[in-house]
Amino acid sequence: MTGRKVLMDFEVTPTSHSLDDYRARGGYEALEKALRTMKPREVTQEIVDSGLQGRGGAAFPAGRKWQGIDPDDGQPHYLIANADEGEPGTFKDRWVLEYSPHTLLESMLLSCYALGVRHCFVYIRGEYDVPWRRLDAAVEEAYAAGYFGENILGSDFSCDLFVFRGAGAYVCGEASSLLGSIEGTRAFPRNRPPRMTVRGLYQAPTVVNNVETLATIAWIVRNGAKAFREVGTEKSPGTRLISISGHIARPGVYEVELGYSWARFLHEDCGGVLDGRPLKAVIPGGISSQVLTGKDAKVLTAGEVEGLTLDHEKLRSAGSSLGSGGMIVIAEGTCMVRLLQIMLRFYHHESCGQCTPCREGTGWMHRIVDRIVAGDGRPEDLERLNYIAGFNDGTTICGLGDAAGYAATAMLANFRDEFEYFIEHKRSKFAGNLE
Amino acid sequence: MKHLIPEFERLKTRLPPNHDATLLVPCLRRIQEDRGFIDGSDIDGLVEYLGIPRIQIEEVLSFYGMLRRKPIGRWHLQVCRNVSCSMRGAERLIDQLIDKLGVQPGQTTPDGRFTLSTVECLGSCGTAPVVMVNEAYHENLSAADLDALLERLD
Amino acid sequence: MTAIFINGQPVETGEHTTVLQAALANGFYIPHFCWHPALSIVGNCRVCVVEQEGRGVGIACNMPISDGMRVLTDSEPVRAQRKAMLQFILLNHPVDCGICDKAGECALQDYHYEYNGEPAISGDPKLHSTKFFPLSERIVLDNERCILCSRCVRFTREISKSNVLGLEQRGDNMLVRPAEGRTLDDDPYSDNVVDICPVGALLSRSFLYQSRVWYLEPTPSVCPGCARGCTVQLWHRKAEWRLQGLDERHNTRIHRVTPLENPRVNGPWICNKGRDLPTLLDRPRAEQALLKGAPVTAVEAIEAARALLDQAGKRVALVSSWGSNEELRAFRNSLGGYFSCFVKPDHLPGEGEVVEDDLLIRADKNPNTRAGQDLFGTAAAEIPEDTDLVLVWGEGVDFGTLPRGVRILFLGSWLLPENGHADVFIPISIQTERRGHYTNCEGVVSAFEPCQPRRDGVIDAETLFPLLSAPGGSASGGGAA
Repeated sequence: MTGRKVLMDFEVTPTSHSLDDYRARGGYEALEKALRTMKPREVTQEIVDSGLQGRGGAAFPAGRKWQGIDPDDGQPHYLIANADEGEPGTFKDRWVLEYSPHTLLESMLLSCYALGVRHCFVYIRGEYDVPWRRLDAAVEEAYAAGYFGENILGSDFSCDLFVFRGAGAYVCGEASSLLGSIEGTRAFPRNRPPRMTVRGLYQAPTVVNNVETLATIAWIVRNGAKAFREVGTEKSPGTRLISISGHIARPGVYEVELGYSWARFLHEDCGGVLDGRPLKAVIPGGISSQVLTGKDAKVLTAGEVEGLTLDHEKLRSAGSSLGSGGMIVIAEGTCMVRLLQIMLRFYHHESCGQCTPCREGTGWMHRIVDRIVAGDGRPEDLERLNYIAGFNDGTTICGLGDAAGYAATAMLANFRDEFEYFIEHKRSKFAGNLE
Repeated sequence: MKHLIPEFERLKTRLPPNHDATLLVPCLRRIQEDRGFIDGSDIDGLVEYLGIPRIQIEEVLSFYGMLRRKPIGRWHLQVCRNVSCSMRGAERLIDQLIDKLGVQPGQTTPDGRFTLSTVECLGSCGTAPVVMVNEAYHENLSAADLDALLERLD
Repeated sequence: MTAIFINGQPVETGEHTTVLQAALANGFYIPHFCWHPALSIVGNCRVCVVEQEGRGVGIACNMPISDGMRVLTDSEPVRAQRKAMLQFILLNHPVDCGICDKAGECALQDYHYEYNGEPAISGDPKLHSTKFFPLSERIVLDNERCILCSRCVRFTREISKSNVLGLEQRGDNMLVRPAEGRTLDDDPYSDNVVDICPVGALLSRSFLYQSRVWYLEPTPSVCPGCARGCTVQLWHRKAEWRLQGLDERHNTRIHRVTPLENPRVNGPWICNKGRDLPTLLDRPRAEQALLKGAPVTAVEAIEAARALLDQAGKRVALVSSWGSNEELRAFRNSLGGYFSCFVKPDHLPGEGEVVEDDLLIRADKNPNTRAGQDLFGTAAAEIPEDTDLVLVWGEGVDFGTLPRGVRILFLGSWLLPENGHADVFIPISIQTERRGHYTNCEGVVSAFEPCQPRRDGVIDAETLFPLLSAPGGSASGGGAA
């Protein structure tokens, strides 16, 4: 339907997440192959050659990140799977944890082997319960089968995994904040330099990868980088898990081959806009477009969406991003001012408070839009919002500030008339409707 | 929290050695699961057990939305009001709960049964709207579903 | 040695690793709040921005130096961002300048005038917070003024290691708070946070509302609280701002004490005992010479002292460890030959006082033991029963422990009951009334300057000693050193 499959390449049944079922469909063969026939650097090279891009939001080439670590430098190294998934609109890592946890675990073992990691972590957001239980059960199965612990499969490779549950902070999805969380201190994001591959967890070289990014590793090692490149587009190989929600007939997680037609995905595969309503806009990749590292999350109008394909380059050239893959569909008749209010309320609540522009700016923007929605908007508010957003762009320690800014500027750029209407008439053009 | 220490010690087997502070959030979560909230004596116990300054524990506690210093109702009703859930009726669910329970978000019913909270995105956008009751997600909730749910919670 | 270009000028960066360090060291001022040379880098205020040619604007405190890099500290984009950051900081900052002690030495005020100078562009009411949170008996916190730079928190974690302060909650609800059940009274270095707070959020309660800072000026001095000998600044009213018609003490008293930065001794810090020097130095003074309690003139007292010296066979001197290098040398030169000299501690650690720690505080609570011992040795005082005369210089001697019937020549500054028990008492000056030097426990010599007027009837010890041994007094007799 939506192209070839890498992660959703099996039928989901009540037992398909178990170790037995996973092994029956070729699970842990890649690990055996790597431990017996490949050197760690060869595994890394495979990932580099595959062109795999990060699937957490930044689309940074995973192989290049891995090359920042020298597996033979004698230091401890750490690998962390980022399962914090707090980006509104995103619920696709949850799918991996609930339905394919062993894909993640095997991939992590391969990654630890490549990067010289003895202790790895899965950082899972505190609110996820069923996904955590599935993951935890899979970890115990893997330990029992000897895939974790000392001398795995009779090799020199030993590895332990700790599942670290978060406690309710969106900012912990930012990789350096996550480190502070694991270290038992306030989870403030950190300035770079130094890069995390130089000084990360416990001041040691660390790689943090998104769950979906990591889960893809097993397929690449099993089938080869060349086979991976045959899927998707030249610049965006492979597939993406898209979580689609909002005013859409069939919301859920879909695996889409990169390069697939966006219009077809929306109107055919996902059943089209809810109740056949006209499409107003789409937030393509989570309301920040990526988990806190600042690429444009512009809201695209219906006109801009048609004719686009789902891949990283096309969306970037349209001024937006696939980001976290959290797609939110918005139908005509929705009040974009109220929508922005919800987004800013979110950023304001989640700002860690460390740096001046985000701490003060998210509150400031939120209060301005609150005022507009309460019927007390002023003409200068819109320039004010652009000013605040502009000085959150590129000035903050992490991408939360940028993202909050982009939410405001994108809404204002595309739907300025609604804001002006609200200020002038002291009410919404659409009766404040969101549904 | 001393009775939980054997459990905490077992966690160390999968962690690199000499980083006891890593256990802070897991310990806090477990203590809250056990007691319902985190008491001052628990913090004192953790200062001793983990060997970290009290102020560090207090900072971490005040940072996370899921950790609390006071007890709440038996059933914690957490309604997501972020973008996708609001677009699929979350605001109406919140109104329904305010109406039915007679409390505002942040408050507990006088009989101690329910505490109502509004929360941010739970990662349930495709099955919106969602109410998290204690640790369980109740998804695709209609008004009728919500009523039935409240009936089932004693 | 790397060379970079700041505003087009080549700069040798030496040991510095960041652009901010190199710029400040070479006379290029870059405004900053959260960075402090003695604390870790946090990069949270976002004010120290510079432009790196070809790479855009970024914070300088965490910007690594690379050979040949070209940096601009005052380009258009830099100015624009600085202005905006100041607008954000001022968004909820109360304009308390009219009632805030920090006015006149406030970085936010200075930067506002220098780099922003515009009214707030926000039309929304400011958020409010706690105005007077007592962090301790000594320090008050105003959370509205606080810009959350975290310098105070980092100080208690990294320098004093008292771990009292932290940042609670998130976002714009974040607050500096002490750990539950603790106050900054637990921290013997607490008052340093008042110095390093860039705004008027942390204020000294003893200095609160005492004076506007521009009416005061600092005089360099050395803290006599212990053998560390931290260099300090004693703040007193400027001569041109003399108050007429009020108690003269307003014009002479020390209003506050701050560190005088000293890389060889105390860096940028002092302990709280140093802050409390005004109390120590403001005790009632002895201004009247006495013979067995009877008031006499200074001349009469000196005559009587010389006579005592002549008549005495065995003589012991208990030398003050608060004497300056100059006074000690004068004592040795004039009187050293006539006495068995022992350096004594004028002060011992008090009840509840920190005795010694890894930071600054030393167990020896006297500023010049080292110089005294260099001149007179380290032996503890021995006063044989047949001693005729004991010269007591400075505090700390219980006359009850001296041999019965011994004559006592007492030189002191403070109004004490002992003054009346001595055979001869001569009042001498304190360090704020003269210049001099102390030698600290590690041999570092530091200078102090006068900042208070000499009192009538009080003489400098350095002047007194040669007078006591002037011809007319016999040089014979035993007990020579």
